[in-house]
Amino acid sequence: MSVAGAQTWDGPLGALHDVITVCDAAVILYFLAVNTGYLVLILLALAELVRRTRRAPFAGHEDAAGSAFTPPISVIMPAYNEAAGITEAVRAMLLLHYPVFEVVVVDDGSTDGTLDALTDAFDLAEVEHVVPEDVPVRGAVSSLHLPAGGPVPLVVARKANGGKADALNVGINLARYPLLCMVDADSILDSQALLAVAKPFSDDPLRVVASGGVVGIANGCTVEAGRVVEAHVPTDLLGRTQVVEYLRGFFLGRTGWSKAGGLLIIAGAFGLFRRDVVVAVGGMDPDCVGEDAELVVRLHRHLRAQGHRHGDYRIVFVTEPISWSEAPSSLRVLGRQRRRWQRGLTEILLKHRRMIGNPRYGRVGLMALPFYLLFELMAPLVELAGLVLVPLGVLIGAVDTEFLWLFLLAAYAYAMVVSLVSVAVEEYAYHRFSRWRDVWGAFVGAAVENVGYRQFTAWWRLRGMWDALHRAPQVWGAMTRSGFGPRERVREGDRRP
Amino acid sequence: MIPLPVGLVTGALLDLLAAGLALSLLIVGIRVVRTHRRRRHERIAAPVRVLLLELLCAPDDEQSELLDRIARIDRRTWVALEPTVTSMLGKVTGRARTALVLLCERRGSAAAALADLGSRTAPRRGRAAQLLGQLGHRPAVPALCRLLGDRDREVRLAAARALGRIGDPVAAPRLLRSLHGPRTVPPRVVTAALTSLGPEALPGVVAGLRDPSPLVRAVAVEVLGTTGAIARTPEIVRALREDPDTEVRIRAARALGRLGMPEGLAPLVAALGPDRPAALRMVAAGALGGLGAVAATVPLTRLLGDVDAHVAGAAARALLRLGPQGEAALRQAADGRPGTRAAAQARAALAERAVGGTRHDVLVEVTL
Repeated sequence: MSVAGAQTWDGPLGALHDVITVCDAAVILYFLAVNTGYLVLILLALAELVRRTRRAPFAGHEDAAGSAFTPPISVIMPAYNEAAGITEAVRAMLLLHYPVFEVVVVDDGSTDGTLDALTDAFDLAEVEHVVPEDVPVRGAVSSLHLPAGGPVPLVVARKANGGKADALNVGINLARYPLLCMVDADSILDSQALLAVAKPFSDDPLRVVASGGVVGIANGCTVEAGRVVEAHVPTDLLGRTQVVEYLRGFFLGRTGWSKAGGLLIIAGAFGLFRRDVVVAVGGMDPDCVGEDAELVVRLHRHLRAQGHRHGDYRIVFVTEPISWSEAPSSLRVLGRQRRRWQRGLTEILLKHRRMIGNPRYGRVGLMALPFYLLFELMAPLVELAGLVLVPLGVLIGAVDTEFLWLFLLAAYAYAMVVSLVSVAVEEYAYHRFSRWRDVWGAFVGAAVENVGYRQFTAWWRLRGMWDALHRAPQVWGAMTRSGFGPRERVREGDRRP
Repeated sequence: MIPLPVGLVTGALLDLLAAGLALSLLIVGIRVVRTHRRRRHERIAAPVRVLLLELLCAPDDEQSELLDRIARIDRRTWVALEPTVTSMLGKVTGRARTALVLLCERRGSAAAALADLGSRTAPRRGRAAQLLGQLGHRPAVPALCRLLGDRDREVRLAAARALGRIGDPVAAPRLLRSLHGPRTVPPRVVTAALTSLGPEALPGVVAGLRDPSPLVRAVAVEVLGTTGAIARTPEIVRALREDPDTEVRIRAARALGRLGMPEGLAPLVAALGPDRPAALRMVAAGALGGLGAVAATVPLTRLLGDVDAHVAGAAARALLRLGPQGEAALRQAADGRPGTRAAAQARAALAERAVGGTRHDVLVEVTL
């Protein structure tokens, strides 16, 4: 038996037949390679999680919480039209369990009264200011506000609208402490989040330059006073699918990359950076939609250019469950989100294309960037091509129907197994979801991810690539949220995890 | 034509289905075992946990009887109760803590942990070090010192923290030595441990000031400043003036600010010079504020117009800490020519003070 059926073709049709046969075989191999790649990453992550879980009893979090030598942190929270939830978010941020930190909120020219909400809640007073110019900014700070009459470690800056990256750059200039924690205004952090994400800096201060935290899906979770008190898998299909996707790609995938020394993405929703290194590379790139990942790639590039080899510096991923973000619960918002992410990835890979496959950049250049190019950037192209070519192949007899069904079933089973490995690893290491129905929800998510969901996201991602290639205008990641009440279930969002 | 591996795909499909089933069972199994184990431990430990709480709150005369009762529990119950006991060790103080330590010693936990320090598995060595630290078990100090060179990083950290908790000054030289070599302990962990060893450890720490490694000298200076070793001010002054390493001088400047001795004034003012590294100037300015010496008013005022906004800002906030004279200098600068850097910095510092939100912490890009 062969990929081609029994029918033979001559002339141009025969050539087309041969091309489609080869393309179909390539699509099949690609699908295998993608899932094998993730399986390898998950196995690397498993090794790391076993190591960390066994060492957790003497990890020293309590010592760090009470130590005067724990490095202080400036938490930078850019905000644009976040009036609905900003007060609760800042209040929760100020209550984090950490010895010394400040919260720097940068209002990027909001038009919905974000600053007014903060002023009312924290009794802010406008003060004269001098903002250092460590990194360049586009929108100048128009006013600076501090809580009146109290030692609340909060600074609020109002600036002309310039985008999220520009707001972060203002925050970097205003930051007082040597570590910068960049969080989204809608991030929900666990009370121990700063302790967990700062631990690598305390444990290996001479080498660690950045650390990223796990971002979980807050949809369906119970939130009280700005904290997730009960983690659940959402009840809707879209939410369940995203939970599994986050587990596989963002939690275990990044843990695996961290273990392999090729971590490229630290989520804008929660990441910690050494300020001096961020300043040395010029801060965030305001022209890039994926400014968070772009910063990490630029850090690699800068440090390698400085002569640092693998092992001289570390960009690490912290596996403890520490931060939560709302994930889209409608196809419209999901589409917008994936378009933005893919646009960001495309921009990054174009900007740093000289690093791809370049041995000068070590594992980042030879492993991580090629992986992202082949299995993340090209994935929507190949998947959509497969959607067209495989039926076409069947139609013209280039693909044996019986074999195709058999293969599709095997491919589906393989993808499902990879997702189930992710669920099993989570269950072993952190078992965040306490109810049986959450586990069932994850099973369902793993089962349906490859039926429809992947194909939809492939289409949105393709559009994101197009946005990047023809340089469509940038916009802030629009949020569809209504803020957190005293105790509520979370709905949807659009941020990078 | 591309040959079709139908048999291979069929076999793979069957294998994958089996793997999927096995994984599903594994997930369910992990949950069942964990839930069962937790409930079992809770059930076993529940009656004794009440006794444990009574022990923590009991007056002296009742404590020994309760201690006897808990110490006599069978091994299975102790295994279920021990995690609660060890977690409480870090949360209670005084008599309650002493009672818990006695309980652990009578149950043989300290002896077992001491033996586990030589275990072949790293997590076991780490847990043992942690427990011995929580128990404040002095006989474990030599073994814990050896563990500072353990092949596992987390174990080395646990040993350093344990030594800090035990507080035996003999560990000081070993802790300082653990800062360099092939298997190191991070400076912050060593600093925290050394500051817990008490004044008897200071001679060992002072010896670190003469170490060829800048990291050791930096940590030694930091410890002296943090522990208020005012008798060691001359050594710290010498470090600020003469040490070739910027990191050490930064720490010396900060230490002098903390100690607040007048001998620190002149070297700190000298450290403000424009030819010095910006980080050192920033810390020196902040330290002069901590010193509270009005004699620093003029040099700090001069810094208000510095091109480095962080240095100027640190100087402005330091002036606020010098009292009326410093504040007057700041007001004078604020009323100066509008648009100048000095006036802007002065007005910003005064505005912060007016709302009670002055941020005295000095940003320094130190990596240690």
